[in-house]
Amino acid sequence: MNIWFRQHRFAFVAALATVRKSPGSFLFNVLVVAVALALPFAGVTLLDNVRPLSEQLAVDPEISLFMKPGVAREDAQALAPQLQQLLAGNHAKINFVPREQALDALKEKSGLDDVIATLGDNPLPDSYVMKLDGFAATSTAEAARVDLLADHMRQLPGVDSVQVDSAWVKRLAALLGVLRLALLLLALTLGVVVIAVVFNTVRLQVLTQREEIAVSKLLGATDNFIHRPFYYTGALLGVCAGAVALGAVALALRPLNTAVGEFARLYASDFQLTALPALGIVGLLAISAALGLVGAMLSVQRHLARLK
Amino acid sequence: MIEFLSVSKKYSADALALSDVTLNIARGELVYLAGPSGAGKSTLMKMVAAIERPTSGRVTVNGQDIGKLKKAGVPFLRRNLGLIFQHQRLLNDRNLLANVMLPLIVTGAPKAQAAERARAALDKVGLLDRARALPMELSGGEQQRVAIARAIVNRPQIILADEPTANLDRAAADKVIDALHAFHSAGVTCVISSHDEQILDSGARVIRLEHGHVMDGIGGGV
Repeated sequence: MNIWFRQHRFAFVAALATVRKSPGSFLFNVLVVAVALALPFAGVTLLDNVRPLSEQLAVDPEISLFMKPGVAREDAQALAPQLQQLLAGNHAKINFVPREQALDALKEKSGLDDVIATLGDNPLPDSYVMKLDGFAATSTAEAARVDLLADHMRQLPGVDSVQVDSAWVKRLAALLGVLRLALLLLALTLGVVVIAVVFNTVRLQVLTQREEIAVSKLLGATDNFIHRPFYYTGALLGVCAGAVALGAVALALRPLNTAVGEFARLYASDFQLTALPALGIVGLLAISAALGLVGAMLSVQRHLARLK
Repeated sequence: MIEFLSVSKKYSADALALSDVTLNIARGELVYLAGPSGAGKSTLMKMVAAIERPTSGRVTVNGQDIGKLKKAGVPFLRRNLGLIFQHQRLLNDRNLLANVMLPLIVTGAPKAQAAERARAALDKVGLLDRARALPMELSGGEQQRVAIARAIVNRPQIILADEPTANLDRAAADKVIDALHAFHSAGVTCVISSHDEQILDSGARVIRLEHGHVMDGIGGGV
């Protein structure tokens, strides 16, 4: 066993010994830090659950054009060249959707075969679905151009209505962007809180152990030897608090899923919030340990310099 | 081994601790630093241990210039020194064995080896049977002997004892001095400071300091 490993083991054991000397104080500090970490961890968990949903949704503008009821199939199909002319230069994909195909799709997606069967005649019109590639989802100018195209389409003969389907997807994407930013700011703020708590905890330990530190230096201890136990204490505090925060978030998912489940069922979905995957948990624990380490390093640098 | 060349130390403009001190202490020598409180004995010892740096002049220990010694080099200098303080500075929450092991632990020595050598050091000062006791359970003289064990456990080349008998009765003081003499006899360079004239060994060199000036005993064993 080399000296480096031995000294790190000594530092880790010394950090554990400090915890054993005042477990109540350590536990209290863990809880304070865990409270600060729990909110951003909950946000990360929520975003991690919502991200796959938002990624599945098309963000490129999609225009749906519905013919008036009773328009003949030939007349409806005759619109295709006009639509191609309108969309020229927009890398558009134009799909004609016959009313029969639309009804089949409705049956398949909604699972309401029995209800639809009671309608007798197919109530759906022939329609076109046009996907426009290459549009910037967040560009206001591009969105205005799509709206203008939709207005032109509404003037075509036999057209009943035109819908631009991408607007709500854009809003959702924008909302998720705002949430991510808000979460980042929240995490940064609470990260500073974590660092401050660890900073103060380590400051008290440095003061408590100042005689031991002074004696060790006189006996030939290097700065690294003296600093390491405090670094381990900070990291230990961070990782324990991170584990408690993750545990609290996992516990909170149970009652939350009851409410989310009811809401999701209204949209025929079985969506449930799940805990973070193992890699995510390890990542958050590493971030917690790093925050604790940073707090300890700042405190040690400042307070040991003062002891000198 | 220890050389002071025209060394002065000022703590502030009007606080001159050492003034133009020049002296040599040879390897294996036993030297007493004598003089009243405030004479500069402690400052002189602190310079040998790089606790203080000279304001002017040059201090060399084992050929190392203390004034030019980098911060990172200080711990390695001190590992060759055995420091004994007036107030022992034992860690009261650790037993004697742990206290004596500390100089070895800070160097990264294996714990078992450190414990074995600490027990041997405690045995040399006659306190092996108290290895598991806490410092507070011992008398002042016994605590000072533990401090000696801690100072010699690293097999230092130089022992610096700053007023090691100041708070002890005569019998305890004699035991401490006897222990230091024993290590000197084994070849260790010993520098002992004291303002107590009674403990000054007639056979050893005595350097007398007053108000930061060396009054007597400059040359010695050089």
